[in-house]
Amino acid sequence: MAAVVLTNVHKVYGHVVAVKDINLDIKDREFVVLVGPSGCGKSTTLRMIAGLEEISGGTIAIGGRVVNHLQPKDRDIAMVFQNYALYQHMSVRDNLAFGLRNRRVPEAEIAAAVSRAARILSIEPLLDRRPYQLSGGQQQRVALGRCIVRNPKVFLFDEPLSNLDAQLRAQMRLELKELRQRVPTTSIFVTHDQTEAMTLGDRIVVMKEGFVQQVGTPLELYRKPANRFVASFIGSPSMNFITVDVTAQADHFLLTCQGWQFRLATTRFPDLGSHVGRSVCIGIRPQHIRLGAPVNANQIAFKGTVMVTEQLGDEQLLAVRLGDSEIRIAGVDPDLTLAAGSEIEAAVATDNLHLFHDLEETQ
Amino acid sequence: MTDIAMAPVRSEGFFAALAPRGKAVLFTLTAIAVCLLFAFPVFWLVLTSLRPGTGVYYVHRGTEFTIDNFHDVLSQEIVVRALFNSFMISTLATVLSLGVTATSGYMLSRFRGPIPSTWFSLIYIFRCVPYVAWVLPLYFVTQRLHIFDSYWGLLLPHIAVHICFFSWIMKGFFDGIDPSMEYAAMIDGCSRWGAFWRVAMPAAIPGLTALAILCWLYTWNEFLFALILTAHETPILTVVMAQFVHELGMEWHLMSATAVIALVPALIVTLFGQRYVIRGLRI
Repeated sequence: MAAVVLTNVHKVYGHVVAVKDINLDIKDREFVVLVGPSGCGKSTTLRMIAGLEEISGGTIAIGGRVVNHLQPKDRDIAMVFQNYALYQHMSVRDNLAFGLRNRRVPEAEIAAAVSRAARILSIEPLLDRRPYQLSGGQQQRVALGRCIVRNPKVFLFDEPLSNLDAQLRAQMRLELKELRQRVPTTSIFVTHDQTEAMTLGDRIVVMKEGFVQQVGTPLELYRKPANRFVASFIGSPSMNFITVDVTAQADHFLLTCQGWQFRLATTRFPDLGSHVGRSVCIGIRPQHIRLGAPVNANQIAFKGTVMVTEQLGDEQLLAVRLGDSEIRIAGVDPDLTLAAGSEIEAAVATDNLHLFHDLEETQ
Repeated sequence: MTDIAMAPVRSEGFFAALAPRGKAVLFTLTAIAVCLLFAFPVFWLVLTSLRPGTGVYYVHRGTEFTIDNFHDVLSQEIVVRALFNSFMISTLATVLSLGVTATSGYMLSRFRGPIPSTWFSLIYIFRCVPYVAWVLPLYFVTQRLHIFDSYWGLLLPHIAVHICFFSWIMKGFFDGIDPSMEYAAMIDGCSRWGAFWRVAMPAAIPGLTALAILCWLYTWNEFLFALILTAHETPILTVVMAQFVHELGMEWHLMSATAVIALVPALIVTLFGQRYVIRGLRI
């Protein structure tokens, strides 16, 4: 059990900066998820922690010990890879025992550890099979078993669920959570899937182009995204963004975009004062928009034209044209019939508006 | 007026004109023809080896067959020695070059940097130079090193050729093996070398087998180096076979018998490792 501390860690490939000055303090037994689009540096960060990639600067400490120059085998970590990385020429039992044999653990102890791991992961009947005789889900369980059998200080997961189909992925997510309760170990999980990040992480680190965008709990990221990138990355469907011009009135700000305007009380949004006469971006989550006229003064209303409807069974998703913007509305009654081109009225509480000073996604 | 169902317009190519199963039949016939084309010389060779010396010029008409040719060639000491030498040199060259070829292919597949790129360039240059251009310099080098007409004089050039030609094939095999298996091994307690030896190498066994067979066959069949770099001390089968053409005439029947004998080990090796060789040739 150990904390993992990254201090000013960066990685440069030639002239390309892959990871820029990451500072991260992962507590003992914490489950942290690194999330971001392809090429954001999340896997590189994980590989640097594992020792598979040299760091260009900064320090990495595991359990209070700086491990910058230690070989992967000396860092007391275990890692699960995207494509399982099982040793194809060995049986499942030997795969699980490999790490312990390398550490010259007595055979009796190895047998006990292997059967314990196999019991935890329900892979006892598979122990004498070869990896190629297993399904994707079974292989992933063996890969997890290879991790827990060694009882390391830190688990590293490099997109372990990416190769599984959607149904199996959801199941493995649950199993991972259960496993966490049984084997509470510091874990760092890399994924590009925001749902995995939200469901698994105690804290989430959102990365883009080598920079950390925001670190926080899933709810913090959802409710208070630091910038447009985080706002658009976390939550499904993505947040709607509308660029509006700000003008100051007596006791409120008037925000206008093409064919639509609304007021926000000066007292509720004092930050807007510095943007009078300029444009800002407002973000609205699709789930926060309700069809119908506003029911109180705290809501703002708008009218739009339905472009497309998507039926999901328990809800409908709408794509609505609003002036020159297109927004998405989620959580619409699935029995409501809305033809493309029909006019709708909708409302959103001002508490659910997010204001971004940056008009484009920035770092 | 009723609609007239239009027949789909067929392309008017050659295959379209054939009967429904005509394409399959044509393909099978072509395959048989190609097989015969390749098998016929071998068949003719075996037939010639079974004919008496006087009958080799009308193999297709004669009815007299004999196995004396095999007896004749195997009773010549030089042929037996050549068989032994060819077998030893092929086997030794294969064993000695495999170690270097495997590590060299692994380096080319997994590492980037000045050493791999220099090595890559060297191999590339070697491959670009016509094979025959190496023979004369090699002759002088083996003379200077006093290894002319010895095992080493032939082994060293063969090992060099194997390394240059087969490192590429080995690289292809390692490219096909997921490197994360080695990373997992490194985390599981192996050094970089340990991960190569204990995880990458076992996974590359099909590749190594293919390579061993290709190396062995290459040296077994090689003629030019053997002709220039050996003399009476170390006779090699391919050269001995050619010596049945001499100033007194051509002993086709003996040459054919020797060729059939030479064919047997190659055939055994190929049949044994056919599966791996095909995989090796695909890369």
